[in-house]
Amino acid sequence: MGLLTLLRKLKKSEKEFRILVLGLDNAGKTTALKKLADEDITHTMPTQGFNIKSVIHEGFKLNVWDIGGQKTIRPYWRNYFDQTDALVFVIDCSDHRRMDETGVELNQLLDEEKLAGVPLLIFANKQDLMNAMGPDEVTEVLGLTNIRDRAWHIQPCSAKTGEGLQGGMEWLVKNINKS
Amino acid sequence: MGEQGEVYISSNPEDAKVVEGFRLEHMNMRDADSGQILWESPADWEGKFFFQELEAHVPREILACKSVSREVRFSSVEKMDDFKLLQKIYFQGSCFEEWFFKFGFVMPNSTNSWQSTIEAAPEMLPAEILSGNVTIESNFFDGERLLAKSLIRVFYE
Repeated sequence: MGLLTLLRKLKKSEKEFRILVLGLDNAGKTTALKKLADEDITHTMPTQGFNIKSVIHEGFKLNVWDIGGQKTIRPYWRNYFDQTDALVFVIDCSDHRRMDETGVELNQLLDEEKLAGVPLLIFANKQDLMNAMGPDEVTEVLGLTNIRDRAWHIQPCSAKTGEGLQGGMEWLVKNINKS
Repeated sequence: MGEQGEVYISSNPEDAKVVEGFRLEHMNMRDADSGQILWESPADWEGKFFFQELEAHVPREILACKSVSREVRFSSVEKMDDFKLLQKIYFQGSCFEEWFFKFGFVMPNSTNSWQSTIEAAPEMLPAEILSGNVTIESNFFDGERLLAKSLIRVFYE
């Protein structure tokens, strides 16, 4: 699939699209994006800043911003909110201990004025692990059904195997086109 | 000979702190369809990027790829508010293409990467003509201030 295919599906009323990918450290943000581009994921290191993937097709641009999720750099997330067309929030569903922390960070993002109304895709990642919470359980624990001010979708996936990634991105493209 | 780009590092005292902590770490090129790395900057390029023209020996198969991804990884000790990269591609003495990207905010003590995927032009010149005659100049800016330039001469082998 890859990002180029996604860009081809985007409505052509705008010249440039920006997708912001956030989540706690070790959620699998960078791995998911590498996997979408068929890249080797074995040497993925914690992101100490940002990783951007840009694709250009017939004058149209898609920029995907993956920002590091470590606690010390989360205060910088706000520097990357401007002009965001879609938000992807990645969750390590095997990390039960940090599900509360995940909820706190997600709710803060939902309260951000600059991200108001921006479609939200939640990747319920690490479904390849035995102890991973399923999407229904994550929805309940995080109270996602209370989100009423934007289009949102939870997509079970494994960034490691690639399963579910394409489906999630397709939802995102459809919903960028609606907004 | 015409224009072919140059290396540069700002000697403006105002930029000194940012420049001192700014490093170009790594570059690579991939076949964007397979995700496979076709070329990456050798380890001994580290620390040389802004001081001398460097030679990249790239397998000529890259010219047959339908789309190619180029990645640049850089680190910065200092925070930057309006970081930008302008890449100029020179061939036979003139600039025939420019790629620009505005990063904006760069965190202090961060390592960051930008990967850009571009579809190949429908008609590509043969490797024999391009090889050794293409240079890529990368200009790094914070706002309007030019911090540094790197220059890479590309050989297709």
